[in-house]
Amino acid sequence: MEEITGMLSENEIRTAELCLEKALELGAEKVRVTLNKSLMELFGILNGELDKVNHCLDRSLSVCLFVDGKYGTFSTNRLVENELDNFLRKSVATVRMLAEDPCRDLPDSGRTAKNALTGKELGLYDPSYPALTSDERLKMALDASIFKKHEAEGLISEEGEYSDSIFDTFLLDSNGLRCRHIETSFEYGVEMTVKDPEGNRFSGYWWDSTPRLAELKIGDCGETAFQRAMAQIDPRKVPSGKYTLVVDSENSSRLVTPLTSALGAFALQQKNSFLLDSLGKKVFPEWLDLIDMPHAKGQTGSRLFDSEGVATKETPVIEKGIVKEYFVNTYMSNKMGIAPTVEDVTRPVIPPCVSPELVKPENMDRQAIMDLVKDGILVTGFNGGNSNSATGDFSFGVEGFLFKDGRVVHPVREMLITGNLLTLWNNLLAAGDDARMCKSKVIPTLAFMDVDFSA
Amino acid sequence: MYNNENYYLDLFQVTRPQLENLVAAGIKEGGSYSDLFFENTTYQDLLLRDGIVSSGGFHIDYGVGIRVLKGDRTGYAYSESTDAKSMSEAVKAAALIAASGPDRPLAPAESVLAPLRPSTAGDQGRLRQVKNRQGARSAGSIDAICPPVTKTAVDYYPFVSDWRTEEARVFVPFMERIQKEISARDNRVLKVIVSLSNQISDILMFNSLGELTYDTRPMGTIAASIVFTQDGKIENKTVSRSYRTGTEMLTETLLEEIVSEAVKGIDERFAARRPKGGKMSVVMGAGASGILLHEAMGHAFEADFNRKGQSIFSGRIGEKVCSEDISIVDDGTIPGNRGAVNFDDEGVPGQKTFMVRNGILESYLHDRISATHFGVSPTGNGRRESFRYAPIPRMRATYMLGGKATKEDIITSVKKGVYVDQFSNGQVQIGEGDFTFFVKSGFLIEDGKLTMPVKDINIIGNGPQALADITMVGNDPKVDEGAWTCGKGQSCPVSCGIPTVLVNNLTVGGE
Repeated sequence: MEEITGMLSENEIRTAELCLEKALELGAEKVRVTLNKSLMELFGILNGELDKVNHCLDRSLSVCLFVDGKYGTFSTNRLVENELDNFLRKSVATVRMLAEDPCRDLPDSGRTAKNALTGKELGLYDPSYPALTSDERLKMALDASIFKKHEAEGLISEEGEYSDSIFDTFLLDSNGLRCRHIETSFEYGVEMTVKDPEGNRFSGYWWDSTPRLAELKIGDCGETAFQRAMAQIDPRKVPSGKYTLVVDSENSSRLVTPLTSALGAFALQQKNSFLLDSLGKKVFPEWLDLIDMPHAKGQTGSRLFDSEGVATKETPVIEKGIVKEYFVNTYMSNKMGIAPTVEDVTRPVIPPCVSPELVKPENMDRQAIMDLVKDGILVTGFNGGNSNSATGDFSFGVEGFLFKDGRVVHPVREMLITGNLLTLWNNLLAAGDDARMCKSKVIPTLAFMDVDFSA
Repeated sequence: MYNNENYYLDLFQVTRPQLENLVAAGIKEGGSYSDLFFENTTYQDLLLRDGIVSSGGFHIDYGVGIRVLKGDRTGYAYSESTDAKSMSEAVKAAALIAASGPDRPLAPAESVLAPLRPSTAGDQGRLRQVKNRQGARSAGSIDAICPPVTKTAVDYYPFVSDWRTEEARVFVPFMERIQKEISARDNRVLKVIVSLSNQISDILMFNSLGELTYDTRPMGTIAASIVFTQDGKIENKTVSRSYRTGTEMLTETLLEEIVSEAVKGIDERFAARRPKGGKMSVVMGAGASGILLHEAMGHAFEADFNRKGQSIFSGRIGEKVCSEDISIVDDGTIPGNRGAVNFDDEGVPGQKTFMVRNGILESYLHDRISATHFGVSPTGNGRRESFRYAPIPRMRATYMLGGKATKEDIITSVKKGVYVDQFSNGQVQIGEGDFTFFVKSGFLIEDGKLTMPVKDINIIGNGPQALADITMVGNDPKVDEGAWTCGKGQSCPVSCGIPTVLVNNLTVGGE
């Protein structure tokens, strides 16, 4: 059997098991316990010099209790034996004060994950992590700085952060479920602020993140952030009107999250979803697919189980424009009388596509999509905004670039896009193949026609 | 707070000599300053869904954050245990900053943080309570009376009944009544969710200047989210109230406020449309429109952004930026307010800070690091989400003082524009100064009259320009009592307020 080298010690795991046993002794009929432990080291660099160091060690124990047909959730980071005993006694007593709810239950054993034994099955743990020293971390953070190189070009501030972390979670329930997830993460992000000759400031941010240190593209971040800041100098206004919208892959997930939220049972059960009664119906264009791909080995965002311990699986969420999946946990399944799935999308992926009027190019990166749609506004950042979960109406602040014949003309800012999410997605022109693999939502550059811009 | 040092020392199982040794160890490696932040928080929540309170729980968070500064560099670590070994290891991790690289001197050349000095006379204020609630403190309107400065903090949130001593069952009937009353008052109500959360945090702070401070911070928050249906259409609405107070906040007055606000304006919401977008005059209704100040200038006035030269307001202290009728403050002294602080999270007494006085930029919002950097006193804005975070400059209650115009005068003066009064969220880009806020409801203004209802639109502008474009200030200042939370890498409870104001030339989203 493989030795498990995560954060959690055998004693801590035993504590979680004792908690489960103790809760049952105190009168709980069913129990789920989740034990999390994580460590993060961070080195912040300001203008090429060390600015901050953070050392963050976290541990928490969460308990879901089912007592006398009632339900409550509790957590503590005080894992001392006598305090845990008091914690559990008070927790059980608190649950008994709540109303009965027959819909509350643990997931059926047949649905829970059986293949998350070591926590390392998905290849998200970097074995080189334990040997990494503070000096090595500091050197990576300092070496990534390019402040001196660009100081004379108007760069007034460079704020970079290197961080790495290890996260270890152990989940068990009184139906016999035992599963574990161990993940390392290495990240570098940097914000550059530049000043034009008139004193106007412009900022650009770029980052990378990966489960394995050797794959971290730390050296590219500074230049990319600097170029993103410089590219925004001299923004101009464009008239309000309808434009083709292209959203780069750094920002495109912003338009996907409201869709997956609207397919969640918590919104559906409350009738607070613009995708109510959409299951099995074609409400999106037939060239759109959205797939949940939680088992991609070594990829950020992959998970074998959700927070109930339910096994995740590769699932079409939208297939040829048809809604194929609601996200339904055990509680909502019982409440709504529909089959349970998982509680939320894990790692959504949109494959490349184009509308039938367009010819799909060989490459589908951002530039190819701009060439494909010819004229429009490329959005490289959102600035606030929101959407109405019940109606799908949205309004977002945006910044980016006006482009013509696929070429950037000038930067634009202080603009808003406004519309309805269903209308927007039915105006989808293309989805690229350039999703950023450092993100858990694998969404490429997207293009939509006839979007209302206000300026 | 409990006025008993030993209560806090016993709670965290530490002694004063032990605290002194820890901070001494923090600066032994060459640090210029070190401090400790102990926290014991109990958070409780209850949720009513489909007519029953069928889920709830409590959560305990306990630990100590240890900070070592070298100049304006920060080393930070924390421990979830306050045993001597764990704290000693955390000090070593935080002190790594002192052992790494050469010192970066502060400007002006002041390498050791100074003890607290009394703030400039006039920096303190007090609330005039205009609305009494049974036992609850109300942040109603604000005047500019300035009491004498004291170094000892006043208790801005004395509470009668500790949330920790009441059982969950006590609160259930109150939540059920809110749900029933809302459902009874509008037959379009389809679903109601009521949530009640509360937390109490015991805080103990000690630093290498020998300053020991302690505080107990209550917070109660209640919210109702309602889904309405009419002619096959769906609309939603959320109402919340949040105060630094004990269980005494749950009064008949509060219940009536929440219920009546929940069902108010639903006809308009179903009738509302998107306006034609573009630049126009925007009348910001009194109260929650204070989000304009929070986003348009508050963040850009947080001194860490200015210390790093990132803010659009960097280097502009003393400049006239708007009408002399405008004064904007950030205030930690409003009794019972969500943004109130007896002490900030660096042990600096709560105070009231004028960011703009009579149109002139007067002060950034400082923590100890930025105050030392700029050679001024800290303003009590060093705040943090929990012991897991180092403190940074954060807002408290940010609002504008009242002017002379009436609300009616302001609306009548607008030929074409929008009036907005309910919001959900906002955001700002510090460097560029571009800010946005999302409007949940309002009206078109045509020829000086409110006409078509509008909803779900984002509004965007630029901070300095928007300030300069405020041309009328109402005589109805109001601080909103909703559950506003500010995110800046870490969350902090805040509040905001404003009288009715007219802002020319904001960009309104539309079709």
